[in-house]
Amino acid sequence: MVGVKDFEGRGIVKGVASGPALVSRTPFSFLGDVDIRTGDVIGELSDLRGQNIAGRVLVVPATRGSAGAWRFLYQLKQHGTHPVAIITGELPDPSVVQGAILSGVPIVSGLADRIGNAITDDTILRVDGQTGLIAVVDDQQP
Amino acid sequence: MRLSARDKALLDGADGDVNRQAMDALVQLGEAFDAEDMVDIGYAHVHAGMAMYLGDVELMEELAERGARMSVPASTNIANADMENWQATKAPESLVRLQKRAETAHLSMGTGGCFTCTPYWAGHWPTWNTHMASIESGVTIFSNSILGARSNRDGFFAVYAGMTGRYPRFGLHLDENRTPTHRVVVEAAPSGTADFTVLGYAIGAHVTNAVPLVTGLGRRPNLDELDALGVGMATSGGVAMFILPGVTPPYTDKDETLGDRLPSILVRERDLRAVYDDFCTGEENGFDIVHLGCPHASFEEMKHYAQLLDGKTVKSDVELWITTNRTVRQMARDSGLLKPIQASGAKVISDTCPISCHFARTCSPDPSLGVEPPKLRTIVVDSAKQARYIRDMIHCPTLLTTTEKAVETAVSGTFVPRW
Repeated sequence: MVGVKDFEGRGIVKGVASGPALVSRTPFSFLGDVDIRTGDVIGELSDLRGQNIAGRVLVVPATRGSAGAWRFLYQLKQHGTHPVAIITGELPDPSVVQGAILSGVPIVSGLADRIGNAITDDTILRVDGQTGLIAVVDDQQP
Repeated sequence: MRLSARDKALLDGADGDVNRQAMDALVQLGEAFDAEDMVDIGYAHVHAGMAMYLGDVELMEELAERGARMSVPASTNIANADMENWQATKAPESLVRLQKRAETAHLSMGTGGCFTCTPYWAGHWPTWNTHMASIESGVTIFSNSILGARSNRDGFFAVYAGMTGRYPRFGLHLDENRTPTHRVVVEAAPSGTADFTVLGYAIGAHVTNAVPLVTGLGRRPNLDELDALGVGMATSGGVAMFILPGVTPPYTDKDETLGDRLPSILVRERDLRAVYDDFCTGEENGFDIVHLGCPHASFEEMKHYAQLLDGKTVKSDVELWITTNRTVRQMARDSGLLKPIQASGAKVISDTCPISCHFARTCSPDPSLGVEPPKLRTIVVDSAKQARYIRDMIHCPTLLTTTEKAVETAVSGTFVPRW
């Protein structure tokens, strides 16, 4: 059942994960926007520049295309600097989907805007990539 | 998603856990992109396992140890070190030893180990309507646009496709996505591979994810130029297929009119100049390396380099790198082409290239390998693809010019620009 503070999107990559949200309004590239050693966002085109994606539920409107994205997502996983889950607006690139399946990072698509408008950074979200359900675990908003 | 009896059997583990994992991953991919079913593939160009990336060679070793085998003809993508001649690039031996472990894994999986971004020059030549999977975007665009095979821009899952012989039917596996979305009118006279990478780069930057119909070239480009055109587009955009009427199967010269009602893009000589200018950021006397062979050179290109270098000497403080695949290197050796090249002081390197070797600063290899990227001032290149990734991955300035002028540059020690 979907609660008032819950969201239902389209499950793209299986798996369940929870973590604090990190909300972006700009498309994200796993090749180039992030330092795999630290998880720091370094891309000049991302509004997350200066923040860190490690352990976060990354909420992005879209992923920017690169055939190499899967490798960088997998490298984030190898370094322990990966987002625990990804929520997108548009369907992510096939390469991102492949990297997420390989790395066990669930993805839910089709609701980045709705979530981005309803929550703030650090709200704890529980993402189920099988059902597409996203639950607000700990709403820190007043 | 509709699955065949064999797909279901693989999912149930009938062919072992490693094939269950592969099929499960392909089904997830197919469901994400609304594939109705799976197609039989006839070829896969798969990940090498890259020593510069943490845990990446181990990924391939694990598959091999768990019994993964290629069920269709397969080739390996570019690697992080020349496994025969690594001393020429000053690669740390520890890195080469790790890279060779990936080669061993592929041997046991039955992959044709050519370790190249141009497996077609090594004899992997998929034909019209062959469904395939490819990890390398340059192979994808060459296969779709020149050979008429059907490939998406894949990542790691090309290896799962190679193991199972199956791939979800979406993207460029469907007829409806193999029709033009944009018309490109070329009002310039590109000549040679450097110009064609630049033309492709200019087109890709305009159309991003699209299927451009290219008109106005006025002649049929040679195979190396066609290769360069696709590689350029795949680098600046997400282009996986272009249509050149009369070249791209099944489009004929008459199909130029298919572009009449599509959004139109004009590419003039000044647009090509702008790409060259963007990638000329280094100092004309301050370069360390001149590089030819991006993507990995064909036999025809090796002939061209041998002619250009015959009787010449590369300037003493400059390195001239020629990168090709190991099959073409052997053909060039057998044909006597390596003699004039090596007599000039140029280095012929296989399995890797500047952006794929230990120069990259965006990788994070196992610290125990002791990889330290050298400090480079500038690299001179004849390919917009190499230039783009030198900027993004080596973080070093470039100078972009034609093949012929890059050779002049290496011999004289002073950069010779395209214009």
